[in-house]
Amino acid sequence: MSDTIDLLEAIGRDASLRHASAEELSDMLAQAQASAALTSAAAHGDSSLLSAELGYIPMQTPQITQSPGHEEDEPAPDEEEAPNELPTPEQGNASLLH
Amino acid sequence: MLPSRKLPYYRAMKTATLSPSNDARRGSLACVGMGMTLGSHLTPLARSHIEQADVVFAALSDGVVEMWLHRMHADVRSLQPYYQVGKSRMRTYRQWVDLMMTEVRAGKRVCGVFYGHPGIFAWSPHKVIEVARAEGFKAHMEPGISAEDCLYADLGIDPGRFGCQHFEASQLLFFERRIDPAGYLVLWQVGLVGDRSLARFETGPAYRQVLVDLLSRDYPLDHEVIIYRGATLPIEQPRIRRVALRDLPQVLLTTEETVVLPPAVALKPNLAIQQRLEALDKLDQAGALAGGERRPCHERLGGGGHGWQQALSVTTDDGCHDALSSCRTII
Repeated sequence: MSDTIDLLEAIGRDASLRHASAEELSDMLAQAQASAALTSAAAHGDSSLLSAELGYIPMQTPQITQSPGHEEDEPAPDEEEAPNELPTPEQGNASLLH
Repeated sequence: MLPSRKLPYYRAMKTATLSPSNDARRGSLACVGMGMTLGSHLTPLARSHIEQADVVFAALSDGVVEMWLHRMHADVRSLQPYYQVGKSRMRTYRQWVDLMMTEVRAGKRVCGVFYGHPGIFAWSPHKVIEVARAEGFKAHMEPGISAEDCLYADLGIDPGRFGCQHFEASQLLFFERRIDPAGYLVLWQVGLVGDRSLARFETGPAYRQVLVDLLSRDYPLDHEVIIYRGATLPIEQPRIRRVALRDLPQVLLTTEETVVLPPAVALKPNLAIQQRLEALDKLDQAGALAGGERRPCHERLGGGGHGWQQALSVTTDDGCHDALSSCRTII
């Protein structure tokens, strides 16, 4: 079975694949021996189906918060300093899977 | 030579050299954009920054993209765990800055990888570069393809056609801003609009109703708004929904979705300014602006040289005298 991340990168960088129909992409993935999860996700255009293979990976995206007018405020002294369950570098990808 | 500390970092950037750095033991920082779509948007230079770093910090929007990043470097440290419900995001972002600077001060080549463009609607990349430069370290921002870039392509919007305003939605509520309904209005983070605590990751219909009430001053409630989310994986298509403004509070909205309000009114000609421009055109056609249009009229009239001679010659022409008077007002 081909590596799912490698296949996603290959699709993302290939103009004919990136904009292929779901049917065309499914055929290509079948030939490439893609995982069932990736084949299903591509066929339905639903990346959440990848969780069957890669796990559920919750991500927050509010990096854009401007905290308007308060960016330079000093933090309260009792605010928490460290996150919960910080991953260690050696945990690698496993730390992403929840 | 280190960049001047008195200049903003974006004005103090060094130009690249072909020779490798001879201060390899000194820490450095690069904040790069990952782009939005896996495999499609990462630039060769951003990838090189990642691969050449000693340590990589990641603030990405998609877990699969973060897994892809792990393929590029052995020491990728996710910044995601620092987000916590109930904890101010500003505290989180300060921690991110501290984490990156700790490694820079330890002599490491640090790369911060952020989804999209690292400098758009993002506080921590700008801040960490500012701090690094203030301490004498090399620091650089490498742009990436942003959600905004994808939005223009996917929705077929040219921001130059009618103009385009961008606001974080909460800023629109917290501060008195002037909306121009003749142009596009793009609102970011509508999913958590009105969150004054910075400690929540969503608000809800009641908060979005406040936003709609504000927008209804400039837009009719039946005005069509677009809810947009770009593709982060190459097997996805952008998600585009269209709803009436009045229905925005009841629509399920995620934090990564962006709300676009197309123009609601036609562009209104500014007749006063156009008259002033017409006067300038007359001057220009008479040659009175040639070579001297960037200097005040009194300088052109009082100074020497070809330009003032042209200007004086115009004053003898009745047809252009009024135009020159206007010029004094304009320039």
